[in-house]
Amino acid sequence: MSTTVRGARALAIPRPPHRWWGELALGAAFCSLLVVVALWVAGRGLQSMTGPGGALTSLGRLTGLVSADLLLVQILLMARIPWVERWFGLDTLARRHRLVGFWSFWLMVTHVGLITFGYAADQGTGVLGQLWDLVLGYPGMLLATAGTLALIVVVVLSVRAARRRLRYESWHLIHLYAYLGVALALPHQLWTGADFASPAAQAYWWSAYLGTLTAVLVFRVGTPLWRSWRHQLRVTAVVPEGPGVVSVHLTGQRLHELPVRAGQFFLWRFLDGPGWSRAHPYSLSAAPRVDALRITVKSLGDGSTRVAGLRPGTRVLVEGPYGAVTADRGQGGKSLLITAGVGITALRGLLDELPGGVTLLHRVRDRREVVFGRELDWYAANRGLRLFLLEGPRGPGWLPAHMSAVDDATALRRMVPDLLAHDVFVCGPPAWMDAVRESLRTCGVPPDHIHTERFAW
Amino acid sequence: MRKVTLMILSTVAVLVLLFSYRTSTGGGQVSSARTAAAGGSTPGAAPDASGGTVLTGPVVDTRWGPVQVQVTVQGGKIVKVVTPQLPSGNNRDRQINDQAVPILVQETIQAQSARIDGVSGATVTSDGYVQSLQAALDKAGG
Repeated sequence: MSTTVRGARALAIPRPPHRWWGELALGAAFCSLLVVVALWVAGRGLQSMTGPGGALTSLGRLTGLVSADLLLVQILLMARIPWVERWFGLDTLARRHRLVGFWSFWLMVTHVGLITFGYAADQGTGVLGQLWDLVLGYPGMLLATAGTLALIVVVVLSVRAARRRLRYESWHLIHLYAYLGVALALPHQLWTGADFASPAAQAYWWSAYLGTLTAVLVFRVGTPLWRSWRHQLRVTAVVPEGPGVVSVHLTGQRLHELPVRAGQFFLWRFLDGPGWSRAHPYSLSAAPRVDALRITVKSLGDGSTRVAGLRPGTRVLVEGPYGAVTADRGQGGKSLLITAGVGITALRGLLDELPGGVTLLHRVRDRREVVFGRELDWYAANRGLRLFLLEGPRGPGWLPAHMSAVDDATALRRMVPDLLAHDVFVCGPPAWMDAVRESLRTCGVPPDHIHTERFAW
Repeated sequence: MRKVTLMILSTVAVLVLLFSYRTSTGGGQVSSARTAAAGGSTPGAAPDASGGTVLTGPVVDTRWGPVQVQVTVQGGKIVKVVTPQLPSGNNRDRQINDQAVPILVQETIQAQSARIDGVSGATVTSDGYVQSLQAALDKAGG
């Protein structure tokens, strides 16, 4: 059993991410906004602010331009550009996507309002009449209106309260209409946009639109199809690990070319019948090997329960690898892994790749819930893993109730006295992870020594 | 899967209808096609009743639509300028032109040439105006 999960790692070790990948991405987003505002200034945006109508219209142009730019940034955030994803992680990018999304939405609403009021003020017409005229009389504006409606629907359904009531599949399908919304807004920008006339503006906007489209097609669509086809992944075995927890072993072709590291995850689609189209994020639960991959899944309802029934030979489509929690993110010293329940499956693989001096704090309600018990014992006996099994019912914080005589931070310092010499990797339920992070902060662990992945997105 | 099919079909239907609308398939070209069909003046030079020469510039297609200038020259001087064609796709075009064209005409008569400043806020129409005007005046010279 243990020989199938330990042993030689995959040959192609992807390069560790450089800090400047992240800086470069942020810099590019900032520059794009700068260019857009500069084009507006160069297009006499400030000089046009004469009179109330002129001021409203000119500011309307500016908000529209920034909104359009942020829409593209938002798409790029979800385009899964490898260098960007490898630095930030898919979970962080998804949160940024949400934030930028709401900003671009409100700017778009402001744009519509300002332009309507501005034109109405210029022409002395009623606001509603003006809106009507805008929608029906101006080039590309009926399309833009349809695009705006599509974006409104997408945003309304993404508000948390609405999102919770929808099945993920329905929500995601409707979310794809955002692409349509962005595309439908393009004609009115080209045909009526005062800031699209200069050669510089045209060069910028066309490269921004085409670049974004290319990124989506290449990284979001092309790469997953290519990898799935090239590696021909198949299930080889499904092995029970504990109550409701199974490991799925997979094999495929040319796995040495797959640029994946322990701690990363894929979005998996098992071709086992209807319902295959929904992808599930599962981390590798052992370091990848040239001939085998392993994931470990707890059945939590919907797709995860089906995993236990997978038959050997089932074809698998993958998107990925994604995830920023890898051994190379550490500073190279000691490591502390803090996990709760099946959270260990995401960090288990790191035990194969971390340099040594590893401490694992593993939180479970009951000893019987522990998965990988034998593997953990093996690492404790042969690789010097310090293992703390934190067993028992929930306490006030993230530690079990029987340890609540002192606060969590103090208890943590007692277990790991040289805490500040460690890189800390955390995986568990979101609220629990927040509590862990809080204790780490109290103990003075710098934020860039804390590595987390959140699957609740 | 049937729900998805229904969704795709209705999306395609809505898109087809949207793109059938006149403003959805091009900017200035839409109005230029209409006004050109309605009949602009043919470029050229013709004598007018008061003994001057009417010079008609070509129709210049701008982003917002066609611009055409007609000048009346009497005794070597520009005495009258009219614009048989202007962008009129929507109210804003009309409103901008109502403001800009009188200024352009006045500048032309003052400058007695096509070397005029143009009107800010109506740069597209101004450019088209100057182009058509220059071509009309070239006819007088040549």
